[in-house]
Amino acid sequence: MPPFLTERSQFSMPHNLQAAWLRTFIFAAAGFALFEQRTTAADEYPGKPLYANLCASCHGDDGQGTADNYPEALAGDRPLVDLARLITETMPDGESDVCTGEDAEAVAAYIYDSFYSPVAQARIRPPRIKLARLTNTQYRNAVADLIGLFRGGRTFDDKRGLQAEYFASGRYQRNKELDFKRVDSLIDFDFGEDVPPESKFDKKEEFSIRWQGSVIAPETGDYEFVIQTDNGFQFWLNHSQVPFIDGKVRSGNDAEYRKTIFMIGGRPYPLRLDFSKFNGKSGEIRLRWKAPHKIEEPIPERFLTPTRYAEVLTVETPFPPDDRSEGYTRGTSVSKEWDTATTLAAIEVAAKVFDDLNRLSDSRPGKGDRSKKLRSFCERFVERALRHRLTDDHKQLYIESQFQKMKDEETAVRRVVMLALKSPRFLYREVGGQNDTFNFASRLSFGLWDCPPDNQLWNGANDNSLDSRIKVARHAARMVNDPRTKTKLREFFHYWLKLDHLTDISKDAEQFAGFDRALLSDLRTSLELTIDEFVSQEKPDLRQLLLSNGIFLNGRLGQFYGADIPSDARFQKIAFEPEARSGILSHPFLMSGFAYHNVSSPIHRGVFLSRSILGRSLKPPAAAITPVPPKLHPDLTTRQRVALQTNHLVCRSCHEMINPLGYALENFDAAGRFRQKEKNRDIDASGSYLQQSGELAKFSGANELGEFLANSDEVHLAFVEQLFQHVVKQPIQAYGSGQKTKLRDLFVSSEFNVNTLLAEVATVSAFDHPPADAPSVETVAK
Amino acid sequence: MPRSTSRRRFLKALGLNAAALPFLTNLPSLGFVGSTSRKKRFVVMFSPNGTVPKQFWPDRQGPDFDIKPILKPLEPYRDQMLVLNGVCDKVKGDGDSHMRGMACLLTGIELFPGNIQGGSHTPAGWSTGISLDQELKNFFQANPETKTRFGSLEFGVMVPDRADTWTRMSYAGANKPVAPIDNPYEMFEKLYGQVQDRESLTSILDDVQTDLKKLRSVVSAEDRHLLDEQATFVREMELQLKAEPETEKGHAIPEIEQGVREDNDNIPQISKMQIDLMVNSFVSDFSRVATLQYTNSVGQARMRWLGIEEGQHSLSHEGDDNKGAQEKLTKINTWYAEQLAYLVKRLAETPEPGGPGSLLDNTQIVWGNELGKGNSHTLNNIPFVLLGGGSDFKTGQALKFKNVPHNRLLLSLARSFGHEVKTFGNSGFCGDGPLTGLT
Repeated sequence: MPPFLTERSQFSMPHNLQAAWLRTFIFAAAGFALFEQRTTAADEYPGKPLYANLCASCHGDDGQGTADNYPEALAGDRPLVDLARLITETMPDGESDVCTGEDAEAVAAYIYDSFYSPVAQARIRPPRIKLARLTNTQYRNAVADLIGLFRGGRTFDDKRGLQAEYFASGRYQRNKELDFKRVDSLIDFDFGEDVPPESKFDKKEEFSIRWQGSVIAPETGDYEFVIQTDNGFQFWLNHSQVPFIDGKVRSGNDAEYRKTIFMIGGRPYPLRLDFSKFNGKSGEIRLRWKAPHKIEEPIPERFLTPTRYAEVLTVETPFPPDDRSEGYTRGTSVSKEWDTATTLAAIEVAAKVFDDLNRLSDSRPGKGDRSKKLRSFCERFVERALRHRLTDDHKQLYIESQFQKMKDEETAVRRVVMLALKSPRFLYREVGGQNDTFNFASRLSFGLWDCPPDNQLWNGANDNSLDSRIKVARHAARMVNDPRTKTKLREFFHYWLKLDHLTDISKDAEQFAGFDRALLSDLRTSLELTIDEFVSQEKPDLRQLLLSNGIFLNGRLGQFYGADIPSDARFQKIAFEPEARSGILSHPFLMSGFAYHNVSSPIHRGVFLSRSILGRSLKPPAAAITPVPPKLHPDLTTRQRVALQTNHLVCRSCHEMINPLGYALENFDAAGRFRQKEKNRDIDASGSYLQQSGELAKFSGANELGEFLANSDEVHLAFVEQLFQHVVKQPIQAYGSGQKTKLRDLFVSSEFNVNTLLAEVATVSAFDHPPADAPSVETVAK
Repeated sequence: MPRSTSRRRFLKALGLNAAALPFLTNLPSLGFVGSTSRKKRFVVMFSPNGTVPKQFWPDRQGPDFDIKPILKPLEPYRDQMLVLNGVCDKVKGDGDSHMRGMACLLTGIELFPGNIQGGSHTPAGWSTGISLDQELKNFFQANPETKTRFGSLEFGVMVPDRADTWTRMSYAGANKPVAPIDNPYEMFEKLYGQVQDRESLTSILDDVQTDLKKLRSVVSAEDRHLLDEQATFVREMELQLKAEPETEKGHAIPEIEQGVREDNDNIPQISKMQIDLMVNSFVSDFSRVATLQYTNSVGQARMRWLGIEEGQHSLSHEGDDNKGAQEKLTKINTWYAEQLAYLVKRLAETPEPGGPGSLLDNTQIVWGNELGKGNSHTLNNIPFVLLGGGSDFKTGQALKFKNVPHNRLLLSLARSFGHEVKTFGNSGFCGDGPLTGLT
């Protein structure tokens, strides 16, 4: 048995798989050989002695930095030419004329190849796949899905709105002649003193309506539900028996009921709303909510579905936030707070399971098959929680011993649930990293969905339909079209576009009259609709996102931005200022977000383009500098003021990249409105970008900027890397040094189809997983 | 009528929701943390449909009062008893007598107009004010000395599974009815569920350690530190849990009878279980306020165990000349008195933890009803019986008041706990201050 298969693998690896692994080994070995060669070559760099003489005293012998002078390591992603220029202009500190021209180029070449460039860094510290726990999202999904196994799932559908039944009686009694059914898109009715306009109801003072279906939470967070009515109602949410809000008793002038619930993003929660007009004069009923980052509004149709899905067990225990220091959430660290949270959550879930045990185990207390059914519930729960077929040892530890310790079987079930949820086999993505079909299944599902394997994957892991790369890829291709993938992809774009940072935007009330919370909420919706539409396509082409001239506007946005649509129009996609705008790059939400309250900010926009779109790493500013207030230089344009502010030598090194990118968007003011003049002068939207190839790209305005970015290899590579890391939550370099370019090539040849890329990323992370680190001595001995 | 699902909302109340989740090892008031002053408690027991006045009210007032058949079960505790005649629910406005009798009994204030139509009068909604039990709960919870884990516990016995003005007497505020828990297993879960899980936890964490150790050997040295770190956290929690139970002694989880279904015929067992749980919760100082609600206003308990097939409310409508009905109603009300006697007995037998005397010496019980008399639907002469020494009233007597609003009794009770309110409920009924002659 090859050394990377450890005692935990229960299946024997097919030959073709072994061959694949052997190839990976050879490939990896070859990679290292290559690096070896270059390291030897580094000794011959003419810049090496120069560096030792002029630079090492501050930067350290190997660029690692020195505590007293310059503690930070010399590592980054500037092109070589840029590095040489920087040395010529600024180094050594205070004596910048000592090392210039050819000398600077020689030092730059030495630094670049030895430790500065990403490739050199990868060689010095080869990234590895680290042991990782479930992220918070993965944890909540895992628990919800575990319980969901016993509540029965339904496949997601595209139907929207809620199923409505209209009754001619005030008490939901049937009347074949008069009752009718339909799907309502919004629950936002005022029937006045009359019957519903479409009905032939015989009594004005009495009728009732029942709406059923599910509500889909667009993102994880607190949702406040609001029912407005002056009649009786009952509202059930995620529980079929106990009303979430019970307004059956009308009392006093209460006409508004509010209650908050925590929901997991991407999941449908079943609901039912019973509304009854009985001896009432007026008939008003509205179902509204306040979603995260949004204002209160009627629940939009796209979040309602007439299909009734199973209840979702939602862990409400708060968890400390996940690490995002590398630009993507990952679970490579643990803390006492996290460990405590997992204990409290285990107790919470055990109590909720206990509460619903009859349904979950499909048995009743006192019935003859109770014991058997409780055991079989436990077995299924534990094997799916641990995501592997159970060995006899596991069965003994996780199930049998718990039943032996407790005479009361229901309490034993509670213990089983708590233990499974505290198990490292549940809490960690995988311990040991073996390449078995169960881990293939988990890698695929956590990768694409942030969820544990569904039944199809689980069965696949059991019946060998996951034991080759082609079979794994086939599953990945199926899974990409699942709404759970869309949820994860949507989340990626939210991170990519920094939406999580852009939560509190306000504008100068005089200059931007009408830019209020409602408008901001609509702006965010507009961008979300763009992303939703993009991810729901069969072949989402990344370039379209950067180039499209369509934008979603409603009446309010149309009025503010001057689009020609009715002031009460709902959201629709229209071509708006196509000559000036370019996809999400000039979207007014981002333009407003990356701006000050009164003026635009080429710096914020440039930083966004550098970091997110081009994937460049930027260090925090070398010196804290207060932005120059516009009032100090009343006659300067924003562009001139920014240039003045960042003219200092320490600023220029980064701002020479940042500013010219941001300048290209100067046609958009602080609220993202198009402008041709600022302070009566024509806008100068010319910009540039020094590519890592050393070539300077020039563009003017959003359209040319969009064209450049959409076709830039750097953008494609950055996108591949960021998407990979969002999906896999491990560094892409850990999957082989050529992985990024390989995936880029596939991305390019698929016409930038994000779904194709996703499926391949999932397959790579599942099947081309590098072998686990050498297991410890004991294991090998076995 | 098993209703195990409705337990969920009580689990939330237990503090298993996100915001209120107390750190496991730091539940408030699990011990008797430095409370030196006397622990006073307030209990309300409710039974419905009025009483049988002739078989209830003593003929003689004062310390030498006589005990009529309905109150016979309480005879052993006559020294701790106060019978209050002439106390009337004067609250008018929307809602029929059963509704107002119920929702105003502890609130002393009018109902909101609403959409619940009773047998007479105008439709109504919930009470417009807080009830005395909830008021005292807030009062106790505001003071660290008297704060307890739950503040108040609302027990029920066969309360119908619907929320309306006839089923709710406890109000956390205007339009905020509090649902009683009438399933003893639900109540048990609320009181002890977390404690039980905590007991399980130590041994579960032990099992976790076992598996963590196994897994150490299959990961690389670099990854091992992560598992080691977690093992340390788990160990720390184990130690914390083991260090704790000192304060928990005397909090033994009571054994309760298993498999009692919520069913009319099980009312006697459920009643006993709820009373036992209440007394246990006092011993553990989980709460210093409790209510115990038998069925509901207009309640239809069929007391087959007394040989009575008819529902109580239907019987209560029979005229005074229907001897059979009167006898049955007397039996029914005597049965309620027996329940109260069992509660009193348990409290009297249980020594006050950490203090002199019994629980009864420090507990003030009020037995009330939504009506004075069933067939007239009068809200006058509500059959109020007080028991126990919690309020330091002059017990062992029967008092006759002249048609006084019951708000004054509520006021007396509030003040007896040191809560110096000027009025309670509708202030118009509080003009003459607390009842005279109680202290």
